[in-house]
Amino acid sequence: MQDVVLAMLAKEPSHGYHLREWLRQALGPLGESMNAGQIYVTLARLERAGLVVRERAEGPPDRKVYALTPSGQQRVAAWLAEVNWPKQDLAELHLKLAVARAARLADPVELVAAYRRELMGRLRQAQRALLAEPEGSAAGLLLEGVALRLQADLRWLQACEQFWSKVENEAGDG
Amino acid sequence: MGRILLVFRLVRSDVRRHPGQAAMLLLSLTVATGMLALGGSLGGATETLYRHTRAVTAGPDVVAVSPDDSAAAARTQAALTSDPAVAAHSGPYLQYYARLTAKGSASHVVVTAADAEPGPVDHPLVTSGTWVRSGGVVVERGFADALGVRVGDHVTVAGRSLPVVGTAVSAATTVYPFAQLTGPDGGPSDYSGLVWMTEQDTGPLAARHLSVSSLLYLKLRDPDATQAFVNAHRGPSVHANFQSWQFMIGQDATIIEGSRPILVIGSWLLSFLAIAGVATLAAGRAAKQTRRVGLLKAVGATPALVAAVLFTEYVTLALLADALGLLAARLAQPAVVNPTASLLSISAGPSGGTVVLTTVVALAVAVLTTFGPTMRALRTETVAALADTARRPDHRARLTRLSAMLPVPVLLGLRLIARRPGRAFLQACSITATVITITALLIVFVQRQVGYGIDSPHLGNLKDAQSRHTMVVVAAALVVLAAVNTLTTTWTTALEARHTMAVARTLGATPGQVTAGLSAAQLLPTVPGALAGVPLGIAFVWPFSAAGTVYPPVWWLFGAAFATVAITAALTALPARIAAHRSVAQTLSAESA
Amino acid sequence: MNQIDAVLRARDLSRTHGRGESLVHAVDGVDLDVEAGRMLAVMGPSGCGKSTLLHLLGGLERPTGGEVWLDGGRIDTLGERALAQLRRHSVGFVFQAFHLVEELSAAENVELPALLAGRSPRAARCRADQLLEQVGLDDRARHLPWQLSGGQRQRVAIARALANEPLVLLADEPTGNLDTAATLDVLRLFEELRAAGQTLVIVTHDERVAATADRLVSMRDGRLVDDTWMADLGEPVDGIHGWEG
Repeated sequence: MQDVVLAMLAKEPSHGYHLREWLRQALGPLGESMNAGQIYVTLARLERAGLVVRERAEGPPDRKVYALTPSGQQRVAAWLAEVNWPKQDLAELHLKLAVARAARLADPVELVAAYRRELMGRLRQAQRALLAEPEGSAAGLLLEGVALRLQADLRWLQACEQFWSKVENEAGDG
Repeated sequence: MGRILLVFRLVRSDVRRHPGQAAMLLLSLTVATGMLALGGSLGGATETLYRHTRAVTAGPDVVAVSPDDSAAAARTQAALTSDPAVAAHSGPYLQYYARLTAKGSASHVVVTAADAEPGPVDHPLVTSGTWVRSGGVVVERGFADALGVRVGDHVTVAGRSLPVVGTAVSAATTVYPFAQLTGPDGGPSDYSGLVWMTEQDTGPLAARHLSVSSLLYLKLRDPDATQAFVNAHRGPSVHANFQSWQFMIGQDATIIEGSRPILVIGSWLLSFLAIAGVATLAAGRAAKQTRRVGLLKAVGATPALVAAVLFTEYVTLALLADALGLLAARLAQPAVVNPTASLLSISAGPSGGTVVLTTVVALAVAVLTTFGPTMRALRTETVAALADTARRPDHRARLTRLSAMLPVPVLLGLRLIARRPGRAFLQACSITATVITITALLIVFVQRQVGYGIDSPHLGNLKDAQSRHTMVVVAAALVVLAAVNTLTTTWTTALEARHTMAVARTLGATPGQVTAGLSAAQLLPTVPGALAGVPLGIAFVWPFSAAGTVYPPVWWLFGAAFATVAITAALTALPARIAAHRSVAQTLSAESA
Repeated sequence: MNQIDAVLRARDLSRTHGRGESLVHAVDGVDLDVEAGRMLAVMGPSGCGKSTLLHLLGGLERPTGGEVWLDGGRIDTLGERALAQLRRHSVGFVFQAFHLVEELSAAENVELPALLAGRSPRAARCRADQLLEQVGLDDRARHLPWQLSGGQRQRVAIARALANEPLVLLADEPTGNLDTAATLDVLRLFEELRAAGQTLVIVTHDERVAATADRLVSMRDGRLVDDTWMADLGEPVDGIHGWEG
């Protein structure tokens, strides 16, 4: 969540209100459950960590405009480059791709490709191990589960790739 | 009502989707029923025409032919005319046996001295020009046609040239060339034509001492009692021969007697070809039909509706073909039944019996050939039908093992035959039927012909010519139908073998090998079929051949059989080639889709 | 990756279907080298032209542009007869739908290519028995295809494709109709073949099949969009895990 908010600010300084609206849109029904105050809590934490600064201090909280500090920018760059499967949260990856596109921080298609390579490598390991197992082994059953999950993730990544390359193409055409 | 509409809609869409198959069914059944109707209607045809001519021309019931104009003849004639059984009479008329030349042809002729006003019995119907007048002859129409003379032409009768003033038809004598009711001086008769002259004009003939007979035309009170009348006038004192109208019908009918077995046997062979062709088509469609039935069942159609659709289609086509065949037979009939034109033509349609027979045959062909596939389609489980896995191939291990020893095209061909042994058998039988006909044709054509004229090539033997024409027409129809059958069989086999052949090509079979394989599948049964056709052809001709029948050299017959095989090979190559050059990738992806 | 001799080579390979408005570029300017003794997987969404590419590589379809080289010889210019010879001796095809000849037993199906290649019936039978043993179906030799399971049928098809010891085995969605267990059987077989030095090209949309290959190329709209040597992906530092901690 923190990384997503930081990445959104990488494009330009923004109100907390705008950030919240964008998140809601990107997450759809999954975003409905998001607490209205959560974004401000996050922003406050980031501010304390010295990753963002408030540009205009006066007025109600909604009127505050936040901007990235240089260390915040570093953190965003590191986050984008990181491919931290299997600890990856689906929604976080989704937001990462969305914000990368919205903030023009990176090409989401390339981000997907990086994840795909990572998962392919893991799947290859799982499959090789599975093929080496004799038929009917208990370990084979576990490996089968690993492979099936990786396959499901890879299929979702393929869907991401198709979606974002289409968005890219349409932007390019328009 | 809605259900009937649905049935017809489905039938229509099916025919539209496979117009070639519908046309094929229609063509083969039309030809077969047409021939059958024609053969069937030949039986009573001559009688119909004779009765009609007799009614129009007041034909006699009995003709008394006295072999001269002696006093004994006159006594006999007087006794006859005074018989109370006789209702009316004409004559006696003198008939001279002479020789006639016209347009370079010479022929025997009987010259009947006619009244300017015919008597109560026998009013010859003038079909062109006028009735006899002094210095002119009237030529019997059949004879005139054979000679090629018309009103205004001149004919030379016993050396005397006379103009033709008319042509006429009469029921008082038998048709050309049987115009002599008895031969000269009571001897055997010759092929002969008939002309009429005024009595006055026959004077020069009498002066030349030509043979003469005397004819008396009698009308009886009971026209059917001719035999009793003739029996009553037997004995040494009776100086005449009697020819009843019933006898004349029998004699007239001999002119077309050669055609009838040709047409009847031909139509059975054609019916067989129709069955073979349609069965192949129906079987070829079975898989598709099974799937279609599955689809219909899947949307809730009852088996009865499904059966109704299938049978409606075939029965409708069969009935249509039957109607077309009967119509064709009716149109062709006048030319076939009255080759000499000596009788008046009336277009008598096929008799009720013939109509029933052809309809039964047409329906039988349609039902027999579609019953199996239809039943199979109906019995197949809906899901299996949709999955198109209904047909589990048999495994013919021996044939397959054998074929492994053979060159690749033959190997592929044999494996295709193994797939459909029934079809290979039908193909063999089709070729047998064709070779039977060709053998019969050759036998008919090598027979010696006796012309009707005197050393006059233009006065050909109409009876033999009639047989030959009929034979040619039947053979042509059979050959065409067999060719169409071969094409459809090859095409159906090619379609069914499409997948196997595509697989073979992915394994490295060349298009040439696949073409040769498909051709071989058709040709392998063709060779024994053709060889069997030769002796069977001779056997078919045997019952109808008179003593002294000439047979063509054996090498002709077997040459024809091998020519049939060669032509079949050429015919199979075409569809096989088209099928073999289909894109393998497309075929395989269409199959797996 | 060091360059091994390419047994199969495509240069600017194109194949179009239809014309005018409905012109489709099924394969559009593909360059590809298939290294001997390796297993290459081609992935991509359906309709991306991967099957067509396979057909072009095996001489089953002709390209509308570009070149295909097999074992140093150009094959896209060959006539039908020469292509048939090529398929007979140098290429083995395996299909998703198996495409066995339904009338012939497993052994007879496997014999067919050898007979087409002009081997004696005895030699063909011998080779068929050996191949069926290799794919673990020696006890099913006399069964007809419909008596076999999908996985067994596909193994017969693979045995058939190997009958004439092809340079390249081309497989089009070989596991597309198979369940997981049968898929594993087929993949084990491919693994054995690869270990024995067989070159394989496998078109698939199954990531698990693709993951077993040495090299993975991805296709989109008739073009190659990605080319990965699987060995370059490295080993995951945290071992084999598929889900969040």
